[in-house]
Amino acid sequence: MYYLGLDLGSLSCDAVLIDADANIMATSVVPTGAKNREAIARAQREVLELSGVAETDVAATVSTGYGRERVEKKIATVTEITCHGRGMEAMLPGTRVLIDIGGQDSKAIFLDGKGRVLDFAMNDKCAAGTGRFLEAMARALQVDIEELANLDQGAVSNLTLSSMCTVFAESEVVSLIAEGKEVNEIVAGLNRSIASRTLSMVRRVCPDLTGMALAMSGGVAHNQGVVRALSAALGVPVQVPEKPDTVGALGAALIARDRNGK
Amino acid sequence: MMYDYFNNLVTGIESTLVAHPEKKSHRKAYALEIARLGRRLYTEDERIAWCGVLAPFDVLNAMSVTSCFVEFVGAMLASTGMVPDFLQEAETRGFAPDTCGYHRAVMGATYKDLMPKPDFCIATSAPCAGGMGVMENIARHFNKKLYVLNIPQEATEESVRYLADQYQEMTDFVTQHTGRPLDREKLREAVTLSNEATAIMEEAYRLAQHVPSPANGKDLANFGVVMALLLGTPAAVEVARAYRDAFAARIERGEAGVPGEKVRLLWIQNRVQFKNEILDLLETENQAAIVCDELNAITWDPIDPDDPFPGIARRAISIPLNGTVKRRVKNLQKMALEHKIHGAVNPCHWGCRQGTGARGMVAEGLKQVGVPVLNLEVDCVDTRNYAPGQIRTRLEAFIEMLTA
Repeated sequence: MYYLGLDLGSLSCDAVLIDADANIMATSVVPTGAKNREAIARAQREVLELSGVAETDVAATVSTGYGRERVEKKIATVTEITCHGRGMEAMLPGTRVLIDIGGQDSKAIFLDGKGRVLDFAMNDKCAAGTGRFLEAMARALQVDIEELANLDQGAVSNLTLSSMCTVFAESEVVSLIAEGKEVNEIVAGLNRSIASRTLSMVRRVCPDLTGMALAMSGGVAHNQGVVRALSAALGVPVQVPEKPDTVGALGAALIARDRNGK
Repeated sequence: MMYDYFNNLVTGIESTLVAHPEKKSHRKAYALEIARLGRRLYTEDERIAWCGVLAPFDVLNAMSVTSCFVEFVGAMLASTGMVPDFLQEAETRGFAPDTCGYHRAVMGATYKDLMPKPDFCIATSAPCAGGMGVMENIARHFNKKLYVLNIPQEATEESVRYLADQYQEMTDFVTQHTGRPLDREKLREAVTLSNEATAIMEEAYRLAQHVPSPANGKDLANFGVVMALLLGTPAAVEVARAYRDAFAARIERGEAGVPGEKVRLLWIQNRVQFKNEILDLLETENQAAIVCDELNAITWDPIDPDDPFPGIARRAISIPLNGTVKRRVKNLQKMALEHKIHGAVNPCHWGCRQGTGARGMVAEGLKQVGVPVLNLEVDCVDTRNYAPGQIRTRLEAFIEMLTA
């Protein structure tokens, strides 16, 4: 039998299918878009096709993410905090501090080293420093979001952005461009802003990072510039698993397996 | 308009209780007294005083003054869903949108002529400076005199005497505006009633410590704070007794306040006053019962009816939101241990020293007794700043964490 985890986020819908021994059979990441039920169906269809597993062989589905209630035929909904903790333990065992930066929120999760959540902190009502923030900045810089990942290379000036409000930061970026600042300096400044904001959440859940294994999940973890800035700000290397945007869905699939009596 | 609203509420509850005596309950007794207070506030021939949170309401009740702290209006407007217009009015007049929603709502209500005209105002320097500013604004708006009670932070002999002397002066101030001198015998009776009510409330809270608790989030919401307004009256004793008897009866019948109670929660500071799904999510969906509220705590000793002002001063100084955070944390730790709490929820009311300024120390202090704290970021009055999805995720994740 197989177990499906679905993570319906604001930017992407992620699916992970595992077998009874918790081996990953297939993963899928599709844009959520305006019609999230279609995104759910597509992600689900993709993992079944990629793995060659029939839908009837899926014993249980658990959903997570902000749209978790929208998923049909689920045995449970579980928050992304719990699912990311569980998923990261499977991907990078022994992780104690997990930073998850998704499309509209960011979190610091303190784990017991076995995937269980001991404490967590989330961003407040503001989407600064999340995927949406980076999208807006990429737009201001007129680059693709993927390109942002390495555009900080070679920056030396330690430029900082004074505003973390997405709207104000976007206009600040436009002003910096007009002033003739190099793109790599601006991008490095953006990355430091995100790191600084995330740092306070991490310190809130784990004031002393000595000896702690840190890892990052969520779509923003694909951005190596942000990961570098975070590692520098925290003074500890931040590990990123192979598919950071599927950590939550994997956690959901593992919980589906647990709850189905395996 | 507001008189009619409260009058309809009073007559509605009273006629329900006459027609269906079986529907009598502790919560109805509480709601009825709040409605009666609201009606008195909007009754023409009443002597009205708008006050700060720590005004001695039993003394004012003994002097036949209908008195209320202004934040009550903010909570009321939020609970009736009317608050956005009043917040907007205050903001239009220059109040920053990230200041306390209670105070913005009260100022909006003042500017829109919803607040009954007071005969005088009594501000209290604690628990918050924002409240002082509002009182000054209200007094100025209505062109009424303002008396300020300076509440000391610690209960030393000198500070208690200092505050007790102010109460004496305050009664002279009240007399100047009402023409009614303080009747010592009436004050003695009022203080005796206050002592009786608080003793019964303590009994009710002790019953709430039972596992499973006979209390739930709806029972306890705003209870202690609003009861302060009824102190010194027979109504306070009746409502407290109704609570105690209801909790005792539930225990006797083997009933829990939240059927199937799995998790026991402590609520820190204010409740979210507008309609929301928090209680349903916690208690109905997850059997996570709120079994005590920080602001319900009785932190003072019985007051000597023959020499009440020093005891009333100690009461005001002792409340959790006055004085150092260290003392507040100690009280929270005590409540958490007595009520066998698994986790605490702090709404971190926006723009509030107690709500946000102390949250790190509060979380650390409760962690020391094994109680994790969930910090939300909520303006307890401003519906426009409320994101239900985000609150749901935080609360559900917290329950998952506590039950893992």
